[in-house]
Amino acid sequence: MRRGLIAWSKAELPESVFAARLQRLRAAMGKEGIDALVCYTNNTRPAAASWLTAFVPYWAEGLLAVPLSGDPLLTMAFSNRVVGWGKSVSCVARFQGLPRIGLGTGKYLAELGVKRVGVVEFDGLRKAVADDLAESAPQAALADASALFERVRVRPDAAEIALTAKAGNIARHALAQMRGDETRIGEALEAVEGPARRAGAEEVYLAAAPDLAQDQRFRRVEGSVTPGASFAVRATLAYKGSWVRVTRTVFRSGPSPLSERAAEIFAAATASLPSLDGVRGFRSWAIEGCRTAQPLDLLSGSLLAEQQPLAPESIVNLQAVIEVDGHNVALAAPALIGAGGFPAGALIAPLFERA
Amino acid sequence: MLAQERRKRLTDAMAQAGIEALVVYGNAWQGDYLRYLTDFSILEGHGLGLILPDGSVELLLDSATEAERAEVETTGVAIRLAPEIARGASARLDRIANHRIAAAPLGFMPKFLADAARSYKLEDGTRFVDKFLMVKLPGELDALRRAAKLADEGYQIFRKAAVPGRPQFELIAEIEAFFRGRGCPDNFMIMGSGGQDVTAMAPPSDRRIAKGDLVTTELTPAVEGYFAQICRTLVVGKPTPAQLRAFAVYREAMEAGIDAVRPGATAAMVAKAENDVFRKYGLGDYVTSKYTRVRGHGLGLFCDTKPHILEDVETVLEPGMALVVHPNTYHPDVGYMVLGDSVIVTEKGAEVLCGTPRELFEA
Repeated sequence: MRRGLIAWSKAELPESVFAARLQRLRAAMGKEGIDALVCYTNNTRPAAASWLTAFVPYWAEGLLAVPLSGDPLLTMAFSNRVVGWGKSVSCVARFQGLPRIGLGTGKYLAELGVKRVGVVEFDGLRKAVADDLAESAPQAALADASALFERVRVRPDAAEIALTAKAGNIARHALAQMRGDETRIGEALEAVEGPARRAGAEEVYLAAAPDLAQDQRFRRVEGSVTPGASFAVRATLAYKGSWVRVTRTVFRSGPSPLSERAAEIFAAATASLPSLDGVRGFRSWAIEGCRTAQPLDLLSGSLLAEQQPLAPESIVNLQAVIEVDGHNVALAAPALIGAGGFPAGALIAPLFERA
Repeated sequence: MLAQERRKRLTDAMAQAGIEALVVYGNAWQGDYLRYLTDFSILEGHGLGLILPDGSVELLLDSATEAERAEVETTGVAIRLAPEIARGASARLDRIANHRIAAAPLGFMPKFLADAARSYKLEDGTRFVDKFLMVKLPGELDALRRAAKLADEGYQIFRKAAVPGRPQFELIAEIEAFFRGRGCPDNFMIMGSGGQDVTAMAPPSDRRIAKGDLVTTELTPAVEGYFAQICRTLVVGKPTPAQLRAFAVYREAMEAGIDAVRPGATAAMVAKAENDVFRKYGLGDYVTSKYTRVRGHGLGLFCDTKPHILEDVETVLEPGMALVVHPNTYHPDVGYMVLGDSVIVTEKGAEVLCGTPRELFEA
């Protein structure tokens, strides 16, 4: 559940940004003969709707309907008591609260008389919502529109690049608050969580690799866990709909030159994206990005047998474990594959201290 | 181990019911069915779990980050990364298409997986699993007791943090940091601050706490995945006579609700006991859906699980169920107020888990 600050920042996301995104989307819909596009949203798959409306659900679910012409309508499974709050944190022409979002959306589509409706992530749409949508808009042919949406959404605008960098810097600043001499992982997480939320993060998921020499995998930490000689904390953080993962490795003996060398290797790898040559030598790696509704979707990684090409001019997030002189260093940071006049490379410096 | 006890309970019941496979869905919003089966608390993406009568469990996740985390956090579960998860799970079920397969919660299943055109048929197994989610094992109740203690401690932090001039989201930062420091990875909380202009709780905004505000919250930390909740209201400064009079109604209503909790009673009876107090004071309008959502709800692996405490919910309470009883609603004289304690249904009635006094606190 979202527990941080949820507020539409008109300074960082002015209405003109959403107008331009809607225009791009409608142009693509028009070319493909789609009369309306529907996106599902909940707090785990908020990215498509928030990209178009600024709305981030903390609870419940919703459907956004964007007709080719006419007002977009966001239907959330809210009681009327919360609809006012929803309107206050979103940029959408119409907002309504109904328990059965599929019925409310379908009714609107029926009123508009649309015939061809594209649904983002149609295969994954939950059954009850899909059934209600089909029942209440019987005139409409529903089909998957994930590829269309992804094509429109993949190239970031200046606002998204700025917000991703800001999210990354919030995470970086929060991770920098760990002292390095913590005797419990919980102490380290406490040091990160507060600053991240005070800086306005919508959500923070913290995970740790408590002893990097033994196991490089990250987990949520419950109870009291003692760190090893080196440990890492990963902050998965959202700010105004932009999600990042940033990881810091801590050597408990003090700042290590290994961190600097790993950061240099990491920076070189992000600068060479979309080529994967820089990451192939890493112990493990994953490149994630937003395609449709999931904020951080796996695009490429060492767990996959085959790698798909990365889209040029897109925002990604690289997670890596790099072996330096026999030591594991875990790093993660958002990166840009050259867009909007910005060069390719990490959007933040994944270095927290110098030896 | 609790996870193994839960699986044993499921497989025993599956054998009795003739169910040959059970598939469950989970995401970070509705993750209790998946956690029950796989012991994994999902945060990102979709998750699907499958259990067979021999107790073998498979977990499909569409996030690589989550798949890695599941490897470390679960035991006895075969984990598979499935970027196209609905199709991946469908292909898996194709291999057991001649089996009797139940799905829970069916309405949350991805459309592709639940499509009638598939080779297999999914029965609705939601109620089958719901009874296990509601009526808990001793180990589950123990986790809830520990979560309630943590909620009490968290509320002390909340009280100290609610100072004039501080924006709501900074207050919540204090609480979340406290829980992480205590080794608690998850908490659900919403809040409100203000007066008669506030009609509900919501995520934190940048509104600043002001003198005279009613500050409301429900804190819901989790221990081993089990959420316990406390709801309290405080006043920044001295409470007014109107605020004290209003609060007395909520306390009487909550205590009436808790007194109604006993085996054989229904959720509706608990709700009616709470609402009758409001009606007695001429506040009957404020227990309707126009002003309030529920008068409490179940607690467990989801912070808002069944049964919902409403006058039309006829779920019969049984020993081993856990609830929060909270007559939270709007009061026309002072604004939105909350008060709630977590309880366990025992043979003798309600075991109250929260120890924080039932007061309108001053901050």
